[in-house]
Amino acid sequence: MTQEEENIIVPGRWDLPFRHTAGRIASHFFHALVEKRIIATRCPRCRRVLMPPRPFCERCFVPLDEWVEVKQQGTLEAFTVCYARFTGLPDPPYCLALVKLDGADTALNHLLGEAELEDVERMKETVRIGMRVEAVWRDEREGGIQDIKYFRPLA
Amino acid sequence: MSAKVAIVGIGQTALRTSADDRIYHEHDYEAARLALADAGLDRGDVDTVICSGWDAVDGRTISDMHTAMSSGGYLKDSSHVGEDGIMALAYAYMRIAAGLFDVAMVTAHGHAESSFETVSNVVFDPLFVRPLGQSHLVSLALQANAYAHRYGVSDEQAAGVVVKNRGNGAVNPRTHLRSSVTPEDVLSSDPVCYPLRALHCPPQSVGGVALVLCSEEMTRRISEKPVWVTGIAWAIDSYDLGSKDLTSLSSLSSAAQKAYGMAGISDPLRALDLAELHDITPFHELLAYEALGLAPEGGASRLVEAGDTARGGRLPVNPSGGVVCGNPYGAAGLLRAAEAALQLRGEAGQGQVPGPERALAHGMSAPSGAAARTDCVVIMEGG
Amino acid sequence: MAKRVAIVGVGLTRATSHRVDVSYPELVYEAVSGALEQAGLQAGDIEAVAYGSMDPFDGVFAPERWNVEACAGAGVANLPLMKITTGGTTGGSTALAGYYHVASGMFDVVLAVASQRVGESLEAQLVLNTAVDPIYERWQGAGAITIAALQGVKHFWRYGTTEEDLALIAVKNYENARRNPYAHLMRMLTVEDALNTRVVSWPLRLSDCCPSSDGAVAVIFAAEKRARAIADQPAWITGAGQITDNYWAGDRTWYEDWDSLSMLARRVYRQAKIENPLVELDVAELYNAFSIQEIIEYEALGFCEKGKGAELIRNGVTTMQGDLPVCPSGGVLCTNPIGATGLIRVAEAALQVMGKAEDRQVPDVRKALAHAWGAVIGFHTLMVLSSEAP
Ligand SMILES: [Zn+2]
Repeated sequence: MTQEEENIIVPGRWDLPFRHTAGRIASHFFHALVEKRIIATRCPRCRRVLMPPRPFCERCFVPLDEWVEVKQQGTLEAFTVCYARFTGLPDPPYCLALVKLDGADTALNHLLGEAELEDVERMKETVRIGMRVEAVWRDEREGGIQDIKYFRPLA
Repeated sequence: MSAKVAIVGIGQTALRTSADDRIYHEHDYEAARLALADAGLDRGDVDTVICSGWDAVDGRTISDMHTAMSSGGYLKDSSHVGEDGIMALAYAYMRIAAGLFDVAMVTAHGHAESSFETVSNVVFDPLFVRPLGQSHLVSLALQANAYAHRYGVSDEQAAGVVVKNRGNGAVNPRTHLRSSVTPEDVLSSDPVCYPLRALHCPPQSVGGVALVLCSEEMTRRISEKPVWVTGIAWAIDSYDLGSKDLTSLSSLSSAAQKAYGMAGISDPLRALDLAELHDITPFHELLAYEALGLAPEGGASRLVEAGDTARGGRLPVNPSGGVVCGNPYGAAGLLRAAEAALQLRGEAGQGQVPGPERALAHGMSAPSGAAARTDCVVIMEGG
Repeated sequence: MAKRVAIVGVGLTRATSHRVDVSYPELVYEAVSGALEQAGLQAGDIEAVAYGSMDPFDGVFAPERWNVEACAGAGVANLPLMKITTGGTTGGSTALAGYYHVASGMFDVVLAVASQRVGESLEAQLVLNTAVDPIYERWQGAGAITIAALQGVKHFWRYGTTEEDLALIAVKNYENARRNPYAHLMRMLTVEDALNTRVVSWPLRLSDCCPSSDGAVAVIFAAEKRARAIADQPAWITGAGQITDNYWAGDRTWYEDWDSLSMLARRVYRQAKIENPLVELDVAELYNAFSIQEIIEYEALGFCEKGKGAELIRNGVTTMQGDLPVCPSGGVLCTNPIGATGLIRVAEAALQVMGKAEDRQVPDVRKALAHAWGAVIGFHTLMVLSSEAP
């Protein structure tokens, strides 16, 4: 074995098909999105309105089947703006946002649009925790989380 | 009997082909709720949670983000084994035996969101084996053929194992395939992967299994029908299929010897009243008889022919119908423990073996099939 | 009552962005043989194995299968081997599993191994994105960096922490890593350099983010009698635990505070009989994958009040010369083979207690803390190691 021999790298790729079951709870939520309604499940015990809706409350450990419609406006709880490019992930810059919709006790993980993101300094002045935002809908809705295009700052 | 740990709650959902109305970790949730109700406990009583499953099969990195919550683990001390649920049982056993926890929840799920066979190919190393098309079932078929060839196991003898188990499954409302088959059905079923035919191979079933384990002190306080774990051991074998004897299961022999030692068993055929084995193929049920010391090398098929392992035989094996009737990948091993515990409580329904006192449950944790398979043996005794 | 358990040997591998000189089993073998050598044990002394990795990063599902013989010949010897995987906490959870194997009284000498070849995947953030719920959240491009950035934005907003504070954390860790031959990033970094690196995800710059590393680690746990025979100074486990919070990013009102870690710290300090961690701990190996997290961890772990974490670094309390050196190894910020990283924290803390940390040794360590977080910041593990048996 000589020192000069090259170390061989064998290329690999996982191409594994999946079909992820949304289940009846997320399905009901997605069907409502098609009609531009945002609904959440309420826990019968702790009374929290859980967004996104889920089939059970992990604190009270009871099933959830009570539905509540929440508002399409809410508050920006936290955010970041991604400026780096990662293979297979969205083109930068994009703003990942946690939006607590009025009427919900937990925030929805989504995107912030119509904001000035390109320049970091300008972004810091215009995007703020606590700002009010509202849902912007896609014209063609198919029953999925991206039926909401993004949230935009309320004027 | 000096057992430190008992099974005090059993939960299993009915197995089926698909369940589009449920997100995958709801199977753990439903099983956990059933197990808590069975134990007469609620989430607040649970000290520790061990969930299980293979992330690549679930299509979710860190699947226990979901399953720890559905198993009651919110703000508790939880962990996760990347194994069949039988290994979660082993881990929970250690946590309780250490004296650090009193009540443990153990969960496992099977689903149909991916093909286990397809995913299992990427367990194999990318340098030497993966490109050849090796998989879970392919490696097991290789082993089945080596075993059948060495000991002259006939197609009819292998079919006999399937006929026995499917007959048992026909009266088990909890399992997935609930119809009996004839030897002719098995022998004429489509070839899948020589020597395996379609009816040799288990289905991919959807469902959840959960057990609640308790310390000795807590068990005596809260449980009227405990099932004591009197022996438990597990072992892995070599990855390289080319450098080991494919005609025996050394990891299962090793685990069995240790579990028998713990439980004080010297003659398993006499000491045990029933066994639930991970019959991933009929050839592997036969291999397991030999590894467990129930039959001499190469002699397993005679036990089946003599009816010794039928439901009314000397040592009923898989009175539930076994894995060939119901196979939630990742939960099938833990399901063996659940079914054995139900038997010891006398709650197995039409498939009940009369008055069993001691049972063996065997779970296989083997994403790569015959390569580096793990076997876990649990010996249980009724209260 | 649990048996007394100690760490008696540690093996670390060199870490780089891609260890092209070794196949996967060879990398694991390097760690395991190092641990056996330090403990003066043979492969045949190992009775059981706990193995940790976070599968998809390697492009190999369940890599403990391929690597089974590298774990002291576990396959050939038909040893009990248990695979643990809990995301970023995998290494910490693997240490806990090794500990419980011995504490149960079932085994006397147990090998905990963790490995990751992040360099084998071409995009680690894409793999991390698969940890995010595929029904509601995966599409939007969240990974570890963006979640840590959310923590930063909220800490800045609530407590007035600044980019300069983050730079001080980075500079301290880079400086420490230069004394650690097992660190991945071993270059000089000044505050000015740090502030000139590009913004990855606001407010985190490149110097605020860990690298992707290939590496493995092995730690040997032993029951009391064996531990005293094997090591002059074993590192005794006096407190240990994990906490699992939920995974819904939007449920957290506490991005700036990390309350679940505070809750776990209270449980573990009670076991270890620690009342004032800043005074009683001699060293801490924290899971600082992102600079902001080290500051939040100071607060959650009770080294200071909420919101005062940045003052500790401004005042040099956590540097090698300070009262409580944090990450003498350079931490996760300089080396991150993900599934192995939590066990590396335990290994480094054990080396400090055993007095075997070489150039990065803190003098007279009696109590050390090892931490890991994972699962989109939902999980934590802690382990307290002590020079005296509990
Ligand atoms: Zn509730």
